[in-house]
Amino acid sequence: MINVTESILVITLLSVLLSLGSTRLIALVKIMALQGIMVSLTPLFLRGDDSLGSGAIIFFQIMILIKGLLIPSLLYMAVKKIAIKREIEPIIGYHASILVGLVILIISVFITSHLRLSLPAGHDMVLITAITTMAAGFFLMMARSKAITQVIGYLMLENGIYLIGTALTKHSHTLYVVEFGVLLDLLVGVMIMGIILHNINSAFDDADTTLLRRLKD
Amino acid sequence: MDTFVFSLTVLLAGGLFALLAFRQFSLMKAGYIALTVSGSLIGLYAIKVPLVDGTLVTFSITWLHLFTLSFRLDSLSAFFLIPIFAVCPLAVFYSFHYMDNAAQRGRVAVNYFFLTLLIISMALVATADNVISFALVWELMSLSSFFLVMHDYQKKTTRRAGYIYFIFSHVGAMFIFAAFALAYSYTGTFDFLSFADIPGNIKIIVFFLALVGFGSKAGIFPLHMWLPHAHPAAPSNISAIMSGVMIKMGIYGIFRLYANLGVTDLIFGEAVLTLGIISGILGVVYALGKHDLKKLLAYHSVENIGIILIGTGIGMIGIASENMVMASFGFAGGLLHVLNHSIFKSLLFFGAGAVLQKTGVRHIDQLGGLMKRMPTTGKTFLIGSVSISGLPPFNGFVSEFLIYYGAFHGLTLGGSSFIFTMLAILSLAIIGGLAAACFSKVVGVVFLGEPRTEKAAGAFEPGFTMTLPMILLAATCVVIGVFPEPFVLAAFQGLKSIKTLHLVDVNEVAMIVGNLAFAARLFLGVFVFSVLIRKFFYFKKEITEGATWGCGFTQPTTKMQYTGTSYAISIVDFFRPFVHIRTNYSGISRIFPGRTTYNTRVDDIAETALMDRIVSPVLYLLAKLRWIQHGHIQLYIGYIIVTIIVLLLFI
Repeated sequence: MINVTESILVITLLSVLLSLGSTRLIALVKIMALQGIMVSLTPLFLRGDDSLGSGAIIFFQIMILIKGLLIPSLLYMAVKKIAIKREIEPIIGYHASILVGLVILIISVFITSHLRLSLPAGHDMVLITAITTMAAGFFLMMARSKAITQVIGYLMLENGIYLIGTALTKHSHTLYVVEFGVLLDLLVGVMIMGIILHNINSAFDDADTTLLRRLKD
Repeated sequence: MDTFVFSLTVLLAGGLFALLAFRQFSLMKAGYIALTVSGSLIGLYAIKVPLVDGTLVTFSITWLHLFTLSFRLDSLSAFFLIPIFAVCPLAVFYSFHYMDNAAQRGRVAVNYFFLTLLIISMALVATADNVISFALVWELMSLSSFFLVMHDYQKKTTRRAGYIYFIFSHVGAMFIFAAFALAYSYTGTFDFLSFADIPGNIKIIVFFLALVGFGSKAGIFPLHMWLPHAHPAAPSNISAIMSGVMIKMGIYGIFRLYANLGVTDLIFGEAVLTLGIISGILGVVYALGKHDLKKLLAYHSVENIGIILIGTGIGMIGIASENMVMASFGFAGGLLHVLNHSIFKSLLFFGAGAVLQKTGVRHIDQLGGLMKRMPTTGKTFLIGSVSISGLPPFNGFVSEFLIYYGAFHGLTLGGSSFIFTMLAILSLAIIGGLAAACFSKVVGVVFLGEPRTEKAAGAFEPGFTMTLPMILLAATCVVIGVFPEPFVLAAFQGLKSIKTLHLVDVNEVAMIVGNLAFAARLFLGVFVFSVLIRKFFYFKKEITEGATWGCGFTQPTTKMQYTGTSYAISIVDFFRPFVHIRTNYSGISRIFPGRTTYNTRVDDIAETALMDRIVSPVLYLLAKLRWIQHGHIQLYIGYIIVTIIVLLLFI
C-alpha cells in the first residue's frame, strides 16, 4: 500500500531539487505552485483518523487556493509583465545547486536524528523535508541574482516553516489562525515585491539585484 | 474622572476634525481651535475639584488582556495639568494667523493632529498611575512632539534638529524604562505606589536612572542639547508648548518619582540642587552668548528648569534635614515656577514667532526698532522679559521669592547642607542678574533702536489671534505677580501628594504671601505713580522726537547701535572655561583699512564634548565596519542565515 504522506513529502523534496536545477522562470513558478499544494496537503494526511472540523477544512481550502493558485499567478503575472529577457542567471551553477540541495538533504536528516525529538511516527520525515525546504529556500535566495527568484526563495522558506510547524505541533485550531496570519503576510509581501520588482525593472532596465549595488551610499 | 476623560475626547475630536476637514483651510482651523479650546476648558473644570479639596479620581482600562492601564488624578497631577490646559489652547488659538499658508493646509492639518496627540499624551503622563501606562503615554508624547518638530521637514536643519530630538528623547526614555524595570524586579507589580517597598540602595539607583531620563526631557544641563536645536526648528506655537509645557513633564516625573519612592536621604536633594545650579547658570550664560532669538529662548528654558530644580533640591534637602519650612517653600517655589515659566516662556515664544513671521529673520542683530512697528508684541514681550528675569511685580518674582525664602531657612542647617543652600542662594542671584542682562539685550536690540535691515523696517503688527494670546499671557503674568495668594496656595495644595512632606500651616503661608503681595502692589503703585508724575510734568510741554541713537550726529547710521554680541560678550567672557568663544577678527593694519570682518560664536561645551568624545570615536569605529554594507542582497541574506544559525547554536 502506498503511504500518501510519504509520497507527498517525496514530491515536495523533488520539487525542491527541481527548483534548484530549473533554468526557466516560468517553470520555477509552476514548480512553486505544485510545492505549495503539496505542502498545504501534508497536514491533512498526517492527521490520520481525527475528524476535521469545518473551520479546518475551510482553512485548508483557502490555503491551497492561495499557495497553489493566487501567489503563483501573481508571480506569473510579474514575470510576464516585466518581460524578463534573460532567464534565471545563477551565481552558483545549476548542477552545483542540485548538489548543494542533496547535501542539504543529508544534513537535515542528520540534524533531525541528532535532535532526538520524541516525534510521533511519520513526523520525522516531515521535519527532514521541512528543514530541507527551508535551507533550499535560503540557498535559492542567495544563489540567484534575479529579484523574482528571491521572492520564490522566500516562498519556499515559508513553506519550510509551515512544514516545521506541522511536524512539531499538535494540531489545534489556534495554529491555523497563526498560520493564516503568516499566509496573509506572505500574500501582501508578494504583492509588494511585485511592485518593487516593477520599479527595479523600470529603474535599471532589468530585475537583476546585482544592479542594486549602485544604491548603496 | 468622567469630566477629565470627556475633555480628552473633545480634544481628540478636534484633532480628527482637522484631519478630515483639511481641504477647507479656515474652517478647519476655526473648528479645531473651537474644539481644542472647549476641550481644554472642560479639562480645567475637571481638575478644579482635585486641586481644591484633594480628592482622588481614578480610572483604569485593561489592555491586551494582560496589562491594566490605570490613571489617577491627584492634586500634584492637577497642578501640572494647569499649564497643559491653560497654555495649549492659547497656542492653538495663536496658530490661526501664524500658520496662514493655505498651500500647506494638509501639513497644517497633520500638525494639528499631532498637537492634539501631544496635548492628550501630556495630560495622560501627568495622570498615569502605573509603569505600563506611564511608559506608553510617555512614548506617545515623545513621538508626537517629534512629528511636530519636523513640520518644516524639507529644511535640512529641521531634519537634523528632529533627529537630535528623537535620539535624546529615546535615550532618555530608555533610562526611564531601565529604572522602572529595576523597580519592577524588586516589587513584582506595575503599580507606582509599590515603589516605596524597594530596598533603600536600589531606590537610589532607580531615582538616578530615571533622573537621566527625565532630565533629558526637561533639559537639565548636559542633556539639554536637543532644546537649542529643536525649538528654532519647530513652529513658534509648537516651541511655546514644548518649552512651556512639555519639558515640565520631566519635572513632573522627578516630583512623582520622589513622592512615590518616599526617600528622605540627603543625596537626592544635593544632586538635584547641583544639577539645578549648573543648568541655571550655564543656561543663562549660553543664552547671553546666542543671538538666534529662538535658540536664546531655548537656553532660557534650560535656565528656568535650573531654577525649578534649585527649588526642588532645596525642598528635598529640607525634607532630609526635617526642616519643613524650607522643604515646603522650596517645593512650592519650584512648583509655582513650573506654572510661571509655562506662562512667560510661551508668551516670549509667541512674541518671537510674531517677529519671525513678520520679518523672516531670527538673528537679533538683523532686527531692531520693532517696538514702534509692533507695539503689542513689543510690550507683551517686555512684560514677559521682566517676568522671566524674576523682577517684581511680575510672576517670576513670586516663585523665585518662595525659593529664596525656603533657602534662607536652610541657612540654619549645618554641614554640607549649609554649603549647598548657600550656593543655591548665590546662584539664584547670579541667574537673576544674568537673565536681566540677557533680556535687556534682547529687548534692546530687537525692539528698541532703529531697524538694522529692510526686513525689520517693514514689519507690522500680526493678526488678532496672535496678539490676543500674548495679551492674555502678559495679563496673567501681572495677575500672578500682584495677586499671588490663590496660586501659591494651589502650589501648596499640589504638594500634598508628597507623603514625606509635612506642609507648614496654611495661615503662615498666607501671611508670608500676603506680605509679598503687598510689596508687589506697592511696587506697582510706585511705578504707576512715577509714570503719572512724568506725564504730569511733561503735560503741555513741547516734545521733539529724533531718531533713536541719533545723539546729535548729522549722518547717523544703524550700525552705530549696540549689537547683541557687543552687549553680551564681556559677560560671557567671564565664564570662559565653561563656554567656548571662537572669534574671527581680520584686524586693522593700515591707516585706511580695507574691509574688516569680525565675528564670534559661542559653542556649547556639552555639545562639543559629546561630538569630540563620543560621536566622533563611534563614527570612526563604525566607518571601519562599512564594508559590511556592500550592496549584494545575496550576501545580506547570508548574514541573516549566519545570525539564525549562531542563535540556534547558542540559545
